[in-house]
Amino acid sequence: MKTDLSPRMKVALYGLLCVLLVPFVFPTWWMITSSVKPISDIFAFPPDIWPRRFDWTTYQKVFELQPFARQYWNSAYIAAIVTVGTMIISSMAGYAFARIKFPFSNAIFMIVLLGLLIPSEVTIVPLFQMFLSWGMINTHWPLILVPIFGAPSVFATFVMRQFFISLPGELEEAARVDGLGRFKIFWTIALPLAKPALGAVAIFTFLHSWNLYLEPIVFISSTNMFTLPQALTQFTDAYGGAMWNIQLAAATMTAIPVLIVFIVAQKQFVEGLAHTGLKG
Amino acid sequence: MSASASPNSKRPFWTIARRDAAAGYIFIAPQLLGTIIFVLIPLGLVFYYSLHEWNVLANTFTFVGDANYQLLLRDPNLPQVLWASAVFSAGLVVLNMSLALLLAVLMDQKLKGIVVFRTLFFSPVVVSLVAWTIVWSFLLQVNGGINGLLSMIGVEGPNWLRQPGTAMISVVVVQVFKNVGLNMILFLAALQGAPKELYEAARVDGAPAFKQFRRITLPMISPTILLTSIITIVGSLQVFAQIAILTKGGPGVSTTVLVYYLYQQAFQFNFFGYGSTLSILLFLIVAVLTFIQWQMRKRIVFYEN
Amino acid sequence: MTHISNLKASAALAGILLPLAFGGVAWAQDAVNLRMTTWSANEAHMALFNGIAEEFKKTHPNVTVTFEPLPFDNYTTTLTTQIAGGNAPDLAWIFETSAIDFVSSGALVPLTERFNAVEGYNLADVTESATALWRRDGELFAYPFSTSPFAMFANTDLITAAGAKTPSELIAAGEWTWENALASAKAVADAGKDGIVIRDFNYQNWQNLTAYFRAWGADAWSADGKTCGFNTPEMVEAMTVFHNAVFKDGSLPGPGENVDFFTGDAAMTVTQISRASLLPKEDPFNWELVPLPAGPVGTYSVVGQAGVGVLSSGKNVDTAVEFLAFFTNAENSAKLASFFPPARASLLNTVTLASTNPLLTPEQIENVVINGISTGNVVAGHTNYAQIQQTVRAGLDALWVADADVAAVLDNVCTSVSPLLMR
Repeated sequence: MKTDLSPRMKVALYGLLCVLLVPFVFPTWWMITSSVKPISDIFAFPPDIWPRRFDWTTYQKVFELQPFARQYWNSAYIAAIVTVGTMIISSMAGYAFARIKFPFSNAIFMIVLLGLLIPSEVTIVPLFQMFLSWGMINTHWPLILVPIFGAPSVFATFVMRQFFISLPGELEEAARVDGLGRFKIFWTIALPLAKPALGAVAIFTFLHSWNLYLEPIVFISSTNMFTLPQALTQFTDAYGGAMWNIQLAAATMTAIPVLIVFIVAQKQFVEGLAHTGLKG
Repeated sequence: MSASASPNSKRPFWTIARRDAAAGYIFIAPQLLGTIIFVLIPLGLVFYYSLHEWNVLANTFTFVGDANYQLLLRDPNLPQVLWASAVFSAGLVVLNMSLALLLAVLMDQKLKGIVVFRTLFFSPVVVSLVAWTIVWSFLLQVNGGINGLLSMIGVEGPNWLRQPGTAMISVVVVQVFKNVGLNMILFLAALQGAPKELYEAARVDGAPAFKQFRRITLPMISPTILLTSIITIVGSLQVFAQIAILTKGGPGVSTTVLVYYLYQQAFQFNFFGYGSTLSILLFLIVAVLTFIQWQMRKRIVFYEN
Repeated sequence: MTHISNLKASAALAGILLPLAFGGVAWAQDAVNLRMTTWSANEAHMALFNGIAEEFKKTHPNVTVTFEPLPFDNYTTTLTTQIAGGNAPDLAWIFETSAIDFVSSGALVPLTERFNAVEGYNLADVTESATALWRRDGELFAYPFSTSPFAMFANTDLITAAGAKTPSELIAAGEWTWENALASAKAVADAGKDGIVIRDFNYQNWQNLTAYFRAWGADAWSADGKTCGFNTPEMVEAMTVFHNAVFKDGSLPGPGENVDFFTGDAAMTVTQISRASLLPKEDPFNWELVPLPAGPVGTYSVVGQAGVGVLSSGKNVDTAVEFLAFFTNAENSAKLASFFPPARASLLNTVTLASTNPLLTPEQIENVVINGISTGNVVAGHTNYAQIQQTVRAGLDALWVADADVAAVLDNVCTSVSPLLMR
């Protein structure tokens, strides 16, 4: 499809792209600028593209109203553990399902795939009961264990399997002739090749954990243990009235670091995604 | 593990096949155990709960047989809820897939600075879902940013989140803008993976761009379309935060999708038994849908690796 | 209890498969950790509560009380989830609207006898009307720690600037009615600001409209809770006036419009007096606090209530009751009165309330707070309140469009909610 375009065509394309960008960029822009507006200016109509007055105290208040730094840390470390754990578990399982012949492997794969089909809302009540019996309510364990071992990691396993299936078999055959064990082959040959797919899994998993909303609401009840999405909806006065500018300041702080990381690493990010087994 | 199997035995018990099998089981063990503990057992418990009436406050848990399933058939809200779910999922999939494809084709053009555009289109994917939705809930208010923008071009916008028609559209569109970047990248990868020679040949034959797209591009990327559509549909049935923040299921029950209804029944109205019954229904719907899509693969996928 | 234990056992069975060491809850012989859930995370509130808990510790060195703020929006949901999971707090705040669910279900520990056993508690001081909602068969199940009348705050700067009459002028003339209040609101709205905000209503939490439609003698349902009240002639009349005010006159901000009285954007707001703490300290405006305007039934008043009870599924019921008795005794009730208007007759006087509510004048306290509490009726509650609230909300949504047929919509509300009220 790649052909050199005529200059007129180019101008038209740039124009189209800029129009299409509005709904993707404007909300983020509005969030950032509104976070420093006094509350009465947020609803100025029509909205200001640039704040008329600046109120930087909103950012200070975010930390005064809630242990926001602590909540930030909670979200970050949970997402990190979940990401690493999922990468380990899913790459192992994905490799086995793709490349190792063992009895019932297809049947087991189907069973595991069931996890992909069950929305987390479906099983949240029994999970609550289970974690309660293990004394893990109001701890971060449910937010770590379920994603690593449960339904969310199944998707990662699926992606890894699709990737490993697409690897040419000869690579391994040579190693097997040399007498290398499965684990060695996995570790020294297959896994290094799987970097793009692992990258994609890491991205998916991190975002999933970072965005988790229903589960923290159900499992976590003290502010010190909150994660960011949960904390974001908590910037209200004593009677449930939303403190909009402070909420937007907090929202901005949850979004900006991830956005910066993404912009810096966007090449690897996008390539990683592009090379998943999802190609087919 | 298999590498450390004893080499001293005279008749090696650890044949290659057995070693492989052992390694296979060890490799999948954490995932399988996790699935059993965190998916299958809870699913079984959900079924068990669905046969009971469970009053949390009064601390009673009574076996009621299929009463909750009878209730399911008589529930006056359920047809509307299922309809809302169907509209949401269909709308989401159609909009998401076509916009993703359009963006992917645009990103595939030779243009300076296209990487910047790609980055910006993808950026909502990395913004936290709750933050994104909260921002849109402001923008979609009757005196919010969207209508502000519309008024600049002389259009008086509707009360997006408060009218039955536009509320559903709003929820769908917010979700599409949030996630379409992901599908865009996957499509882009598929487009760039399509063999150049085919296009060369087509061009020599004088086939117009549209024909090239329909005859070559679409078949080449059909596996990606299938997989992304499965993921998008399954994901669309799990939409929760968006509804909770944007519309709370209203106006009326026009945006009460099945997952939100289930949450209401179980956690807000405390009908855990009936909520569990709805969970079972949701599970069956997802299972059937996925099965159908998987079957369709044979028809719509023209090309597989 | 045994049923739930069975459930836990079946879940614990799964636990055997993954033997995970769980940390921490070492039960020292006597140490008791009480947990009270609240829907306020307000720092000043917390400081007050923690102060009371510290005092309690002086006589009960082994008891620690932690206050756990849960999100306001999902408060009851989160609380029942905790109870469902067998993780009930020892004490919990309860909204008036879910009072019946909690009081009638056996989820709360009966308090009358236990409170009377506490020396100097003087339960008789707590007014009969304030506890009505929290009693069953004469037995008290929760203590109404906040009994807060609905009233009208007005921004006199805006009203005067629009050339309209302020509430106090109307009161002086004996013309403080909804009709005139809405007229003043319209004048302000026509001048470019907004009229009257029914705070927290947002066209979803219709129970906040109670402070409005009671002026017509209308109510959500009959006193026994069995008959729907939305299609009564009084309600149709009240809602027709309301609908016109919103969609014809613009004297109330419409659905989805965010207008905050306390930022100075509206002429008046109907809310509870405890919101006085939201009045701006910088860029203040002139304001006044007056009772609700009169309606076709004359003057009336509505109170919002919040109770605090001891959960029977908590682990330290006895200690929790002891703490609740301490938390709500006369001395601590006086402290709580700085945020939460009290239910104790001995505290309901201008002197006590003026010392704890420096923002209000003695006159405002007398007219609005004391009169409001002594004559006010609470907002209607019901068993299965959450489902009923939601069903009515869904039905009323059809009303919040410009061309709605008020009577027909209200009929539909009753059609869908009546079966639920009967249950």
